Amino acid sequence: MEFGFTEEQEKLRKELHDFYANELPQDISGVPALSKELQNFWMDLQKKAGKKGYLTPGWPKETGGLGLGHIEVGVANEVEAYWGIAWPDAIGLHICGPGLHLFGTEEQKKRFLPEISSGEKIWYECFTEPEAGTDEANQQTRAVKQGDEWVINGQKIYITGGYKPDWVYVEARTADTIPKHRGLTLFCIKADTPGISVTALPCMGGYRANIFYFDDVKVADDAIVGEVNRGFYHVMATFEFERSSTGGAIRAKRELQELVQFCRETKRNGQPLVKDPSVRKAIAKMAIDIEVLRLSAWRTAWRFGERKRLGPLDFDLTGLSSRLNGMSHPTMRMNILGAYGQLRMGSKYAKLAGSLERAWQITRSMHYAGTIEAIKIVLAGRVLGLPRIPAKLNTTITKTLQEK
Amino acid sequence: MNFELSEEQQMLKQAAREFLENECPERVVRETEDSDSGYSPELWKKAADLGWLGLIYPETYGGSEMSILDMAILYEEMGRALFPSPHLSAVILGGLTILEAGNEKQKADILPKIVKGEMILALALTEPEAMWDGKGWLAEGVTVPAVAQGDKYVISGTKLFIHDARIADYLLVAAKTQKGEKTENNVTVFLVDAKSPGITYTTLRTTIGDNRQSEVVFNNVEVPGENIIGKLHGGWAILEKVVKVGAVLLSAQMVGSAEKAMELAVDHAKTRIQFDMPIGIHNWVQEYCIMAFADVQGTRNLVYEAAWMLSQGMPCDLEVAMTKARANEACVDAHWQVHQVLAGVGFITQDGVLPLHTKRGKVCQLYLGDTDHYIEKIAQQVEKWPDVEKPKGKPLGIFDVPEDLQVPNWDVWANQIKTAGKLW
Repeated sequence: MEFGFTEEQEKLRKELHDFYANELPQDISGVPALSKELQNFWMDLQKKAGKKGYLTPGWPKETGGLGLGHIEVGVANEVEAYWGIAWPDAIGLHICGPGLHLFGTEEQKKRFLPEISSGEKIWYECFTEPEAGTDEANQQTRAVKQGDEWVINGQKIYITGGYKPDWVYVEARTADTIPKHRGLTLFCIKADTPGISVTALPCMGGYRANIFYFDDVKVADDAIVGEVNRGFYHVMATFEFERSSTGGAIRAKRELQELVQFCRETKRNGQPLVKDPSVRKAIAKMAIDIEVLRLSAWRTAWRFGERKRLGPLDFDLTGLSSRLNGMSHPTMRMNILGAYGQLRMGSKYAKLAGSLERAWQITRSMHYAGTIEAIKIVLAGRVLGLPRIPAKLNTTITKTLQEK
Repeated sequence: MNFELSEEQQMLKQAAREFLENECPERVVRETEDSDSGYSPELWKKAADLGWLGLIYPETYGGSEMSILDMAILYEEMGRALFPSPHLSAVILGGLTILEAGNEKQKADILPKIVKGEMILALALTEPEAMWDGKGWLAEGVTVPAVAQGDKYVISGTKLFIHDARIADYLLVAAKTQKGEKTENNVTVFLVDAKSPGITYTTLRTTIGDNRQSEVVFNNVEVPGENIIGKLHGGWAILEKVVKVGAVLLSAQMVGSAEKAMELAVDHAKTRIQFDMPIGIHNWVQEYCIMAFADVQGTRNLVYEAAWMLSQGMPCDLEVAMTKARANEACVDAHWQVHQVLAGVGFITQDGVLPLHTKRGKVCQLYLGDTDHYIEKIAQQVEKWPDVEKPKGKPLGIFDVPEDLQVPNWDVWANQIKTAGKLW
């Protein structure tokens, strides 16, 4: 067992840390990239980092990475999280790229991977649908083979992102199978292909999600990633790259650090806020939770590096603790500020640049990458081996309820 | 970063589990609980034969020079099996203090005897008043004086909640030897023969129901000056260090106990049939199992990290405090969750181990520093965290736009998009 990092890993950390410290503007403060200028800035930084291979340290050198191991990738995750970096192409870097590495054809790899690792293109994942949220396999979007072409029709919803995508990574139904997840296929499609249209969905905390409509979108065979009807398995394997990220705890730690700094500098009843017993209790509690999350995430990352894939246990505990923290911490932090906690960024009297208010809004729903309930279902069924209602019965139950 | 147990650690864990499953079943735990001493001399001897009592001592004293991390792995198994023993008192709080601060003679006299299971020590640190004030495990809480008389010291006062005092051959007594401003510099540790005239013991009736904790009253107890462990007035630093190790190991024990309880819950949820189906099919029941599981796993990582840091000799006040604070809450919480699943089955005290785990968990929670104690310790560290680092790059200046544009306001953005006539 070993909880430290090697000298080379620390060197990498320092190198990345200094790079971002010098590149990020002094006046940046965790705002979502809503303005065009800010979007341009992030795109430029993404390209700069891409040139150095920093975006994809775990990828082989041939595809533009640094060829480093999984612990090093975790270190890079931590540094990025410390600086609050949200790459415009987060999806391409952490989901589509790794997916193409695993399941793409040689041509696809040659074509797409260098573009992703150099930070030039933006990819979106189009997995969720109105009827396929947690029940990922319940995809209704259809891809039908007509001659040489696949014709795609359907609707994808809650597709997060405020940048203009170049490519979309779409899961669509290619066969009506039982079970449902054996009839899905993955496609990578140019975002401006005729027939694709988009509507924006504003989200809490200033985020943007989108609805993508696919209306007779025609693609050739070379758009298929991996095997036909194996898309669900490909997606699940690909998610592991995203789920083995170690960034969350470091971000949370930085936010706690900011709060502690604020509590040192701010006085209430003639003494610094940080001397208030209730504040002390809150910051100590959060510090413990963050350390639990950090270790859990590292355990996941380590497992991923060792075994090249995750078991159900690995991510799900990390996911559970990140969601539990997400549900309680922003409220605890906001409560320390009292009525000032509700002030938004840019408002008169706003404390800590209004960041707590935004974090609180964002964490009202901790659904991304799986709701807490979905995680609990996995933990209960696949880790603890508790019984679950057989799928056949589900249908009967639904029918009975509908008849009532 | 590596979370894998080494081959040796896996063997230690496996061997410990097998030994305890065979030698320390529920029946033995219950028998020792009812006995006067609260431990089983027979089992203690067997543990000594296995080398458990010298695990972290140098070979010179009969030990096997393993690390605190290895010891934590053993403690997990001991917690799992409810191993009734004075291990923490004798080997860690007592023996480790001698090893850290004792002189050569003291070490050579005492440590080999501990390793062989022939001598039991107990740490007499906490006092009645201080345990009320939340200073029980702080230097301020040590007020029982030891007054120099010639080459002897005379100790008078009361120590409370002393684990294993009744069975100890020697007590390590923390006493106040001077009245300086800094309480850390006032404490001296004395090795006191437990049978010395003037010492009276009263067994406390506690949650567990065994006879492990006592009130120890010192009435002009004479101790030779050569029985000081470490330096005069220099005892607190040692005690602090040893209590830290003890707290991490106790946390490991609590994790083991919580894990065992969690497994009981999962088994019960799978096999208990009500309304013609196993109760574990219900989400509410699953929820208890999952939360107990998360308590166990999350705390275990903390325990291993703190134990690893202690083994490496790294400064780890924060990690230790986090570990015990979290173990205190998580272990008791896990036991509670398991009670909800087991319901009536877990409530019966005449058989089944859950009540034993629950009660021991509570006692462990209150021992070597409760949650409030460690929460304050964590806060003391966290409040000193450095300011966050700010980026140094050229300012973009794009935040100098009117206030309403700075606010992450969807409407503003949506209007901009509308004006532009397209979405991107």
